[in-house]
Amino acid sequence: MKNIFLILLVTILLYSCEEPVHLDVSQGETRVVIEGQVTNVAGYQYVKVSQSGGFYDTGKPTRITDADVVIKDDAGNEYPFVHNPGKLADSVGYYLPVTPFTGEVGRTYFLQVIVNEQLYEAKDKLYAVTNIDSLAYRIDDDEKEDPKDYQKFYEVLIYAKEPQDTKDYYMFKFFRNDSLKVYNDTEIYFSDDETIGEDIDGISTPIYFAPGDMARCEIYSLSREAFVFYSDLQSLLNSDGGLFSQPPSNSRNNLTNGALGFFQASSVHAKEIEIKE
Amino acid sequence: MIKNFLVLIFILYATVLWSQEKVTLNGYVKDVDNGEELIGVTVYIPELKAGAVTNAYGFYSITVPKGTYEVQYSYLGYKFQSVKMEMSQNIAHNVELKTEATVIEEVVVTDKRIDENVVSLQMSKNTLDLNQVRKLPALFGEVDILKNIQMLPGVITAGEGTSSFYVRGGSADQNLILNDEAPIYDPSHLFGLFSVFNADVIKDSELYKGGIPARFGGRLSSILEVRTKDGNNKKLNVAGGIGSMASRVMVEGPIIKEKSSFIISARRSYIDLFLKAADQDNLVHFYDINAKVNWKTNNKNRFFAAFYAGRDVFNFSDEFGFAWGNRTGTFRWNHLFNERLFSNTSLIVSNFDYKLELEDPVQGFKWLSNLQEVSIKNDLSYFINTNHELTFGYHITGRRFSPGRITPNSEGSFFKEVELQHMYALDHAFYISDQYNISDKLSLDVGLRLSIFQNVGKSDVYLYEDPKDNINITRTDTIHYGAWRNIKTYINLEPRAGLRYMIAEGQSAKISYNRMVQNTHLIAAGTVPVPFNTWNPSGYYLEPQLADQVAVGYFRNFENNKYEFSAEAYYKDIKNVTDFADNADIFFNEDLSTEFRQGKAWAYGIELMVNKTQGKLTGSVGYTLSKAMRKIPGVNLDKSFAANYDRRHVANIQAAYDMNDRWTFGATFTFSSGRPITLPTGKFEYQNYQPDVISERNGYRLPAFHRLDLSATYTPKKNANRRWKGQWVFSVYNAYNRKNPFTIYTRITKNDDGDTIGDGYTKEARMIYLFPILPSVTYNFKF
Repeated sequence: MKNIFLILLVTILLYSCEEPVHLDVSQGETRVVIEGQVTNVAGYQYVKVSQSGGFYDTGKPTRITDADVVIKDDAGNEYPFVHNPGKLADSVGYYLPVTPFTGEVGRTYFLQVIVNEQLYEAKDKLYAVTNIDSLAYRIDDDEKEDPKDYQKFYEVLIYAKEPQDTKDYYMFKFFRNDSLKVYNDTEIYFSDDETIGEDIDGISTPIYFAPGDMARCEIYSLSREAFVFYSDLQSLLNSDGGLFSQPPSNSRNNLTNGALGFFQASSVHAKEIEIKE
Repeated sequence: MIKNFLVLIFILYATVLWSQEKVTLNGYVKDVDNGEELIGVTVYIPELKAGAVTNAYGFYSITVPKGTYEVQYSYLGYKFQSVKMEMSQNIAHNVELKTEATVIEEVVVTDKRIDENVVSLQMSKNTLDLNQVRKLPALFGEVDILKNIQMLPGVITAGEGTSSFYVRGGSADQNLILNDEAPIYDPSHLFGLFSVFNADVIKDSELYKGGIPARFGGRLSSILEVRTKDGNNKKLNVAGGIGSMASRVMVEGPIIKEKSSFIISARRSYIDLFLKAADQDNLVHFYDINAKVNWKTNNKNRFFAAFYAGRDVFNFSDEFGFAWGNRTGTFRWNHLFNERLFSNTSLIVSNFDYKLELEDPVQGFKWLSNLQEVSIKNDLSYFINTNHELTFGYHITGRRFSPGRITPNSEGSFFKEVELQHMYALDHAFYISDQYNISDKLSLDVGLRLSIFQNVGKSDVYLYEDPKDNINITRTDTIHYGAWRNIKTYINLEPRAGLRYMIAEGQSAKISYNRMVQNTHLIAAGTVPVPFNTWNPSGYYLEPQLADQVAVGYFRNFENNKYEFSAEAYYKDIKNVTDFADNADIFFNEDLSTEFRQGKAWAYGIELMVNKTQGKLTGSVGYTLSKAMRKIPGVNLDKSFAANYDRRHVANIQAAYDMNDRWTFGATFTFSSGRPITLPTGKFEYQNYQPDVISERNGYRLPAFHRLDLSATYTPKKNANRRWKGQWVFSVYNAYNRKNPFTIYTRITKNDDGDTIGDGYTKEARMIYLFPILPSVTYNFKF
């Protein structure tokens, strides 16, 4: 619903023009940014540590490579993480478990990160997620008229059942040939189940595909805290400067000590389909 | 208690009254051409240095010792009239005044000064002169009173293209906007490009910014009272206009000559028709309909029935659409109990609703929300003598808030029907106020309003482990309240006072105090309210908002009232101002109460204004220096911050020049300091997103806003002898094409096609400018 402001802004934009402007703002103090994920899928566990930069900084934000990272659970297990064990150039700042593990539904996970002798902590509970029953696809006529990406105008349809007796929060990720896609770089695909009935019969993806593409849809369970975090993040990414929407503010998160980012525990279920003409 | 108090006051005044044998002169003052009752006409008896002013229904009453007097009737823009009257008994005397325009060939000697602004007890009030407003430039040529209200000293706008206004440091929802006494909950068309007020039917509009009379209540910062025309009761008239955005037509005339009349008017925008012609699927339009009838059974009873309906409809590709609108109805009965006791009883209904709809086999839904209100008001004026005018009354209002209902609109939709619970409120108000002329120099107005507000069932109130925790919302209990069961009652006394001291002829000083209480709260967290915002009553979690305002002013007229000068200073203190937690979820939230944050607000400022009301060149220059702050626990880390609508300097110049019978020119210049804005002080990376880091709310300012608008009105000469009278209005909005900042947003650096350029990490800030230079032509007609 917060998207209503986007529509509003678009309506207003019918009469307006815009151009880049240089903000003469003082840079705030640098803050530690933590992005952590524990799931019930092997190989999906990681923690990324970086730091915030100036608004006009170019290039990748500075990654922190010398943090101490450990994840624990409420069963007393402890999983130490190590920085970029594969020494991959694109994985600087990423920490992976020394011994691979998978998260379990119902467990609560605790993250501890130490950067420059400062301790940052977070916890999140791993909830169950409903399964994607099946996928289908069809041509989207509007997109076909004016495709955002060349020839990509097939949308994938998702079929699932929403359990009505639990309060659930979801996030979706869409992959085109193993590459994570968003339609617009300020969009996050997440939802609560407040207004959703049991039968989800062919809800369409916001990402479009071409024949030959492999489409992958992942559904994640979110805790209430994670839902709040993504909801805030979406408002922040789409803020209109506080004209119709609330003045922008940082996302509420589950990290202590003023760190930005989020530590998320999720169940993941995925389905793939190949698009054919 | 209140009843006894009233009786006591009556006895008190009755004794004052009977001490001398007195008679009462009363009646209505009307416009001779169309029979419209005139509001605010000064009735003055020089020998007694006593006077009265016609009320909202054109009625006046003045009680004097027996004798023969000269009675003067004067009103700005009208020919002065003087009558010699022998008053040996009570007299009903209706007066018809001629406009100066209709007597242009005669020599008009206005020897009586029109110095209402100086003499009147009321301060901090602005009346819009519609004739003047019409001479000034208007956006797309559509005359809009709200855009003119935004030009008044002490009034601030959020930016061009919005209908919202901010009075003396109050937020947009702290203004009570009344259309023929019925509240308008959202006055915008096209998100504020235009307002719901069609200038063709407006008779009078007044903005009270301070010293608010006791008969008004319910909002903290201002009352905008708009009254529509009653309709010409002498002859049939048709008027209209064809503009670049909208066209309008108005018909008025007598039903029974001099006894009853009607007026009906309609306006519709037609951008959608052009878009349709251009084969565009995105359709947008709005319309307004005003209708009114009135009839007079005799000099003692008069009835009015007024109706308004307006709506905006947006449709995008036949798939997504939304709409909103107001409907109001007012039925009024003016009754004269006797020469001195005037009563008005009104039955008022108001409805605001909005709708959002997505047509889709799987994701389709319909979302409805509305607010309904019914009220009965009884207002009495007792003109005791020339020194005392007592007004008192009782208002009762019932409101039903339906914040939202979502229903699936197709068989296969994954939505289920969900409805937020309704809320109900009952609002009683008793008030009394006395305007007391202590001496020639000193007048006093003291009033008291008692407001009793009840949030009633049927409703469920949720109790929370921590009512302020909007992340982990844990309900501990639910209290069920049956229909009409009292959930919470708030009783507040609202004292009002004003004092006017005549320093010398044409010079006065005034001071006023008012306390206002607001029990309906707009659920809007941005600067400019949108039609999709809902309202909540005070209740279990929301406390009434309270404002205390003190204002002082100096008023002076120069050169036989050709120039009016005023200087006012005010301080306003607000308790329990309603705000929302950072990142509040205010749409369709069952636990909305966890987002409420109430705190303090304070505002102060100085307003200067010079008005030139006569001559070929007329206009005004206004300047406001002001500050508006807020401190809300739970917002901005509990630190105080500038309110979204805080603007340090605002200056407005309006001028109209009547060159000759054919040409009139108008110009408007506006300047204001930039709006506060929250800007990023950094950015970070999370997954593939590059969000901003925010440090302080409203810590920066947009660049200053300034704009010049010009207009020229051409009335062809041949009009004089024809029934058909036409008029061309040419206007240029933003004449020097200033790029005025509307807002700033940030994004990953992209090219004009919206494709990311650079490394995908670099961000840019973009300023949105609303209107470039915009010429427009409007043709108005009358026959």
